[in-house]
Amino acid sequence: MKLATRSARAEAPQRKTRRYRLPPPLLYLLLCGLLLFVILLAVSFGSTAIPLATIAQILLNATGLFHLPRSWDPTFEVIILQVRMPVVIGAALVGAALSASGVLFQGILRNPLADPYLLGTSSGAALGAAVAFALPLATIFLGPLFTLTPLLAFVGALVTVMLVYLLSRTDGHTPVVTLLLAGVVINAVLIAFQTLILTLSPNARFGIQALFNWLSGGIAVTSWQPVLIVGVIIIFGIVCSMGFTGILDTFALGEESAAHLGLRVEWYKFFFIVLASLMTAAAVSISGLIGFVGLVMPHVMRLLLGPKHRLLLPASALGGAIFLTLADLLARTIIAPAVLPVGIFTALVGAPFFLFLLRYNKRAYRW
Amino acid sequence: MKEERREPLLEVRDVSFGYQQKTLLYALGLSVRHGEMVGLLGPNGSGKTTLLRLLSGVLQPQQGRILLEGRDLRAWGRRGVARRIAVVPQELHMPFAFTVEHMVSLGRTPFVRPFLGSRTQQDQEVVRAAMLSADIAPLAGRIFNELSGGERQRVTIAMALAQQPLLLLLDEPTSHLDIKYQIETLELAQKLNREQGVTIIAAMHDLNLAARYFPRLLLFQRGIVADAGPAEVLEPDLLSRVYGVDVQVGILRGAEHLSVLPPDEKNNGHSDALQPQVHVIAGGGSGALVMRALADLRIPFAVGALNIGDSDHTLALRLAADVITEQPYAPIAPETLARVRDSLAHVKVLLLCPTPIGPGNLPLLQEAVRFSAAGRPIIFLSPPGSETVCAPAQSVQTDDGVLQPGGMAARDYTGGEATRLVTQLLRQGASVAGSVGEALDMVKEQLAQTDRTPPRL
Repeated sequence: MKLATRSARAEAPQRKTRRYRLPPPLLYLLLCGLLLFVILLAVSFGSTAIPLATIAQILLNATGLFHLPRSWDPTFEVIILQVRMPVVIGAALVGAALSASGVLFQGILRNPLADPYLLGTSSGAALGAAVAFALPLATIFLGPLFTLTPLLAFVGALVTVMLVYLLSRTDGHTPVVTLLLAGVVINAVLIAFQTLILTLSPNARFGIQALFNWLSGGIAVTSWQPVLIVGVIIIFGIVCSMGFTGILDTFALGEESAAHLGLRVEWYKFFFIVLASLMTAAAVSISGLIGFVGLVMPHVMRLLLGPKHRLLLPASALGGAIFLTLADLLARTIIAPAVLPVGIFTALVGAPFFLFLLRYNKRAYRW
Repeated sequence: MKEERREPLLEVRDVSFGYQQKTLLYALGLSVRHGEMVGLLGPNGSGKTTLLRLLSGVLQPQQGRILLEGRDLRAWGRRGVARRIAVVPQELHMPFAFTVEHMVSLGRTPFVRPFLGSRTQQDQEVVRAAMLSADIAPLAGRIFNELSGGERQRVTIAMALAQQPLLLLLDEPTSHLDIKYQIETLELAQKLNREQGVTIIAAMHDLNLAARYFPRLLLFQRGIVADAGPAEVLEPDLLSRVYGVDVQVGILRGAEHLSVLPPDEKNNGHSDALQPQVHVIAGGGSGALVMRALADLRIPFAVGALNIGDSDHTLALRLAADVITEQPYAPIAPETLARVRDSLAHVKVLLLCPTPIGPGNLPLLQEAVRFSAAGRPIIFLSPPGSETVCAPAQSVQTDDGVLQPGGMAARDYTGGEATRLVTQLLRQGASVAGSVGEALDMVKEQLAQTDRTPPRL
């Protein structure tokens, strides 16, 4: 026995700290700086060329802390603050929400392939959108806050996740496998319904084109109001889940071990699913279906920072925000004035970057 | 000294539990004092792991109570239990690349607020102490998934220690380890038990290691069959019956602990001495005295069918060469009856104890009638007069002039069918014994006779 412990002690020092990772404060600083820079950059591109310095001055003035003399065309101010900023901030929020809920889903389901759409958020939202496009009511005025499509997408996403959750609940337990299978099945059923609605609807051709655009994803906001509402939900979700990151770490031990450590496992599982779905639904309602961010950004940040959720969650949110702002910028500018779907860029830019990180780090990465 | 004035750390009172229809644990009672080190033994599926899960509060007993320091486990609350009971699982699967130190600090979860909780200075110290106790301090910065099996087991034990538990539950802690780590892990458990006074309950597969490290052993077969030190529990006959395989138990040269070994090649299979000569049909304690007497006389006997939870069943597992078992409260199933028939085909005498007969065990009487119809000897045991309450003890003369063992009417819950069968048996020539002593004399006589004339089949 003594012999055994001695040998373990002897081999330990030489294998220590062979893992290369950025120190967390430095990475956070980098991410925050990068986010600011990317937002500035995204705002500066568009049909009218506005110099970066002017944009900076306009934005600083808009914070209310600075009162710089106005040496620019007043229309610039409208373009920046009322037209471009909502889209850019919307993109950042959507990216943050998808990445954060990706972290939550991967942690709670202990599955590296989990993404925010796994439990039916995507098909639920798509069905809601399909209903909105197919109905002759798309022009109905629902008050100043929301049009029909985002509202139905939001509701569809949340209702679907709850349905999946209730379907997989047996004897007071919600086994992860049942949850995943129920998610897959419900996804298939809802996609069938969505196709059915589009095929049967009288204004089908118009509906299909609009739905295709919506499904491919794109930040579709024209004013601050939807961004603010969605932003409140998303920020609430991220802050709330940041408070419970310790629980996510404990969940990684498995549900039985987590229960042995005094956690009410089923309760927290429900809580995290609701929280993550809320964020996803809010994001989807203004962006359509943007894939890849929620799956990959948590992995990227795990490669850079390690798997502790206390560090991982905020970093993933920041990373997602940067990434989606950039993707949206590319989508708007590459064949301007036409706008490409954002989803194309998240996959085209994100995948090679992720593969590079994976190969570079492959010996160490075990997700 | 300290233990004596304190109440038991853990008390299991009449706990029953089963999955779906199948009862796994029946009316289990158990008491564990502070500082004990208890090993749970039993074949696969005997309910060891289920008991551990009940003790950790993950499962709730369907009946009965589990008391921790005199208070119901449920009343402690999940976090309250986690601050007192820690569980070391067989194997921990960790999907993320957490470091050893982070893993051990997760053991502090029950002490940290769930929302925005952070680990205090004191928590850090407990984590450090736990790592020192488990001898894994040098591994602190390593990734858990990259450790060897034995090191991982130490980390899981350190995690459990970070919970500062009074009671440590280990679920087959050595089953995935090679011999070096098996010994290391159990040495660690013993050290914690001796130096820090942690009470330990461990499910064990390896009888030899159990004998070496655990002063108290519980032998399980859907209930506790034996609860004593290694010398009493590791008894070859008992182990053979519970595990269903012959074993030898002895002390190896130069060792000071018992060892359990496979049987010798030449002595393989059941020896003739273990072949049951008598089949006993009992129940409700009616067979207790007879079974003890038969065991004392070293007459091998089979018992059954008996329901789990029947007091005769528990005793039979200790004494009988073969026990035919049925689920608690369940009527006798066709498969079980087939086993009874099989046993009857091989014994020389059938002994019927004064057990109550209901629709559930009526088939046993029908088997007895068939046995007797083949001209083979049956002995009835009358209930002792002092113990029957509602019926006269002595045999009574029935209308058609045949003796009937006393109290049959009071024991008949089948609306007369049982009485009819008994009457038929008596007409076919079954003998009646007024006392256990008389019954034994008859059994000996029959065995002596059948030794001379082989049984007709």
